Amino acid sequence: MDAPQLAFKERAAAALADGALKIAIDRTTGNAERKRAAAVAAFPEFEAARARGKAIKDHVIAHLDHYLEMFERNATAAGAQVHWAADDAEARAIVTRICLDARAKLVTRSKSMLGEEIGLPHALADAGIERVETDLAEHIIQLAGERPSHIVWPAMHRTREQVAQLFKVGHVPPPAAEDPATMVQSARRELRAKFLGADIGISGANFLVADTGATCTVTNEGNAELTTTPPRVHIVTAGIEKLVPSTAHAFALLRLLVRSATGGEMTQYTTFHHGPRREGDADGPEEMHIVLVDNGRTRMLGDEFRAMLRCIRCGACMNHCVVYRQIGGHAYGGTYPGPMGAVLTPVLDGLAQSRDLAHACTMNGRCAEVCPVGIPLPTLLRAWRTRSWRERLEPGSLRVGLGLWAMVARRPRLYRLASRIGVRALRLMGRRGWVRSLPLAKGWTAYRDMPRPAGRTFMEQYRAEQAGRRAPE
Amino acid sequence: MTSRERIFAAIRDSLGPRRAAPQAIAAEAAVLLENPQATRPRLAAPDLAEAFALKAKALGTTIDHVPDMAGVPAALRRYLDAQGLPPALALQPAAELAVLNWEGIATHPSLAPDEPVGLGLALWGIAESGSLVIHSGADNPVLLAFLPLHHVVVLRRDRLLPHLEDYAAAVQGAHPPRNAILITGPSGTTDIEGSYVRGAHGPGFLHVLLVGS
Amino acid sequence: MPATLPDPAGPRVGLFVTCLVDAIRPGIGFAALQLLEEAGCRVEVPQTQTCCGQPALNSGDDRDAAALARQTIAAFEHCDHVVLPSGSCAGTMVHAYPELLADDPDWAARARTMAAKTHEITSFLVDVMGYRPEGRRLDATATYHDSCAGLRELGIAAQPRALLAEIDGLQMRPLEGNDVCCGFGGTFCVKYPRISDAITTDKALAIERTGAELLLAGDLGCLMNMAGKLHRRGAATRCFHTIEVLAGRADGPAIGEEG
Repeated sequence: MDAPQLAFKERAAAALADGALKIAIDRTTGNAERKRAAAVAAFPEFEAARARGKAIKDHVIAHLDHYLEMFERNATAAGAQVHWAADDAEARAIVTRICLDARAKLVTRSKSMLGEEIGLPHALADAGIERVETDLAEHIIQLAGERPSHIVWPAMHRTREQVAQLFKVGHVPPPAAEDPATMVQSARRELRAKFLGADIGISGANFLVADTGATCTVTNEGNAELTTTPPRVHIVTAGIEKLVPSTAHAFALLRLLVRSATGGEMTQYTTFHHGPRREGDADGPEEMHIVLVDNGRTRMLGDEFRAMLRCIRCGACMNHCVVYRQIGGHAYGGTYPGPMGAVLTPVLDGLAQSRDLAHACTMNGRCAEVCPVGIPLPTLLRAWRTRSWRERLEPGSLRVGLGLWAMVARRPRLYRLASRIGVRALRLMGRRGWVRSLPLAKGWTAYRDMPRPAGRTFMEQYRAEQAGRRAPE
Repeated sequence: MTSRERIFAAIRDSLGPRRAAPQAIAAEAAVLLENPQATRPRLAAPDLAEAFALKAKALGTTIDHVPDMAGVPAALRRYLDAQGLPPALALQPAAELAVLNWEGIATHPSLAPDEPVGLGLALWGIAESGSLVIHSGADNPVLLAFLPLHHVVVLRRDRLLPHLEDYAAAVQGAHPPRNAILITGPSGTTDIEGSYVRGAHGPGFLHVLLVGS
Repeated sequence: MPATLPDPAGPRVGLFVTCLVDAIRPGIGFAALQLLEEAGCRVEVPQTQTCCGQPALNSGDDRDAAALARQTIAAFEHCDHVVLPSGSCAGTMVHAYPELLADDPDWAARARTMAAKTHEITSFLVDVMGYRPEGRRLDATATYHDSCAGLRELGIAAQPRALLAEIDGLQMRPLEGNDVCCGFGGTFCVKYPRISDAITTDKALAIERTGAELLLAGDLGCLMNMAGKLHRRGAATRCFHTIEVLAGRADGPAIGEEG
């Protein structure tokens, strides 16, 4: 039980020691926070929109089977092939098989967190297929051999200097300068041939529209359409919770998604993909496959984590999380970081592997405050803590200590006595107002001083005063 | 048992045996769209064209006003000259554009990987967000909107819709195209340290010729 | 000592002192007593109170948390109102108690009744009692940190500011990131001390940048964390609970000072 905990703490410690990381996180999340605040301030209807967004997601979740069947029917009628994957392994197998059947050598991919969740990058490599990430941030981390550290800005842990270094090695010819504009131009040139030469394009979906059978992607770069249009085959991988009843419902959620994610009002490119190329179409893929992935989602439907299925992956919770902003995304160790990741990772990787995540939270509630679909993230994290306690995953020392404390706290007279002794002992350990070292709370005094107690508890003083009031003059 | 069956069994197990009828679900979904003005932004100006222009310009889209379709080639020429570009472009094979007088401008139907300029026709404009709507089809390759560095779009004033829902209503019941695309400003990215850079993969320049008076 | 005698017709208020105030800084408890009596309440301090149960609750030990919830409800439910000098403990009673006891037929309704009459002290003084301090003076500059539980679980933001505005001579300075967590988080700060320290350091820097002489907040846990960090950094900022200032008790030693 202790190894994963150590692993999280070690990853967090490494992140805290990385000065460049802190700068990179501050720049991106600080910008995101300011822009979101401005976008919400400019949209007085935001609160009402949020209530509607939450209601739409809850409606779909409550009728998930109905909408999945409707989506499947309409997507199939449009000529797409719908596949069902119970877990990540099955999803990988389905995608790999489609790629091999199409004799694909080169696959372009437009950023999809679900693709990361199911381990698609590795699966394609194992099948000997060249994979080219086309989202600029994903391109950066592909060059660096890393995983995303944020669900909206996967390369946010990289400073521009580090990106310049990666492009210098990875681009032919290397970019002429290190400013972002020149580097973006270099990536544009580098990836253009890949877009047009790919056999298969793989995308995710921000929405699955039930009444038309369309999948919807949103990007600011335009890489999704360049990924899904030129190749012979377009594969969509999407979680089953991405459904919306209709295009109009998708728009209601899109307004929340964009403002919450980047502080914009609308993504530059919002595209509905409806089956493969039509007879006579000027371009487009000959085949479209949609892989619908469960991977723990139906389990969440039946337990206390159902509200998490509302998540539209905007990233606002992590941009506003004090812990994420100190340690960044990689320290979380899963596909999804930050508060939403701390709820999802135990679903995907198991609680024993990730019990730290729910505890590494101050319960300050800012994530829930900014969540555009009203997910009670601290409540869900607390639910993981409860499970962790019930499943006896918490360290023995904590269980014993807390048990002892609770035993005393449930006996008021004993508690008074223990407090009286405790404050006197604590007082003896300090001088001139402060305690500088506490053997039993090193975590506190390693970094801060502890105010030395007054020496008599409130209750002692209060009772003495009450006795004085009652006594005759 | 297939995975499909397993997934549906798990969902029904979680949701319980008492399920609503499809009509009841549809009615509930319709209620969720009622009173849309309560949950969407107000237009930036009372006039649709003005509201559209305000939003589009805020995103870096440039706009030129053209009195009628016949004026499109001249307006395009103005844009090419101002940008220092030669009089050549990839032209969307749409009847409405083909009938115009392109004398002096070399148009071609094909798209080079680094096509400098593409000209297309928007089906609608959306005032709420400054978005342009295009549909793929025989007369509209998707890549025309993505490969060129300069994307020039003809939008008729009478095709302006107030809100996103109005577009959804306009296409309700019609057979959807392979791709319906809402374009809102030139391509951009903030992936390097949050710095905004235009022209990530798609067009770095989006120019709208707003036709009509 | 209370300046006025309790109003015999005033509401009967049970003061939940909180375990930290009881042990570390009893003066906050006496400030609460004084302000409640000034506001016209008959205050009692039930002697069977201990801790609200948050350490158990936040560790996932719902059984012990529920036991402490029952004990606290039994100690206070005869009062008209339950008042606490902490948004965090008040939030636990208002939100967590009804959830913890929702499936307990004997206690669910009692928990809801208790939740409905539980208040953080500054909101109780302003929203329920319409109280304003009179004739108090403190010549100082101060900044205010919004403790998260009070702010987000109970909506405590305007009330302490309204009360502090009545103190003559007190100049409030805005704190950058006033609504961002200080890194305390209860057991979080000892379970993940390095992460907590990084957060608290950012908070201390923001406090120091205000140049204010005093830091005020409504939760002793957060105050101990920030005061302890400021002291370790060698900053001169003095830290008080908001109600110590309101009760005219900020002329004495600040947190970590000895008189």
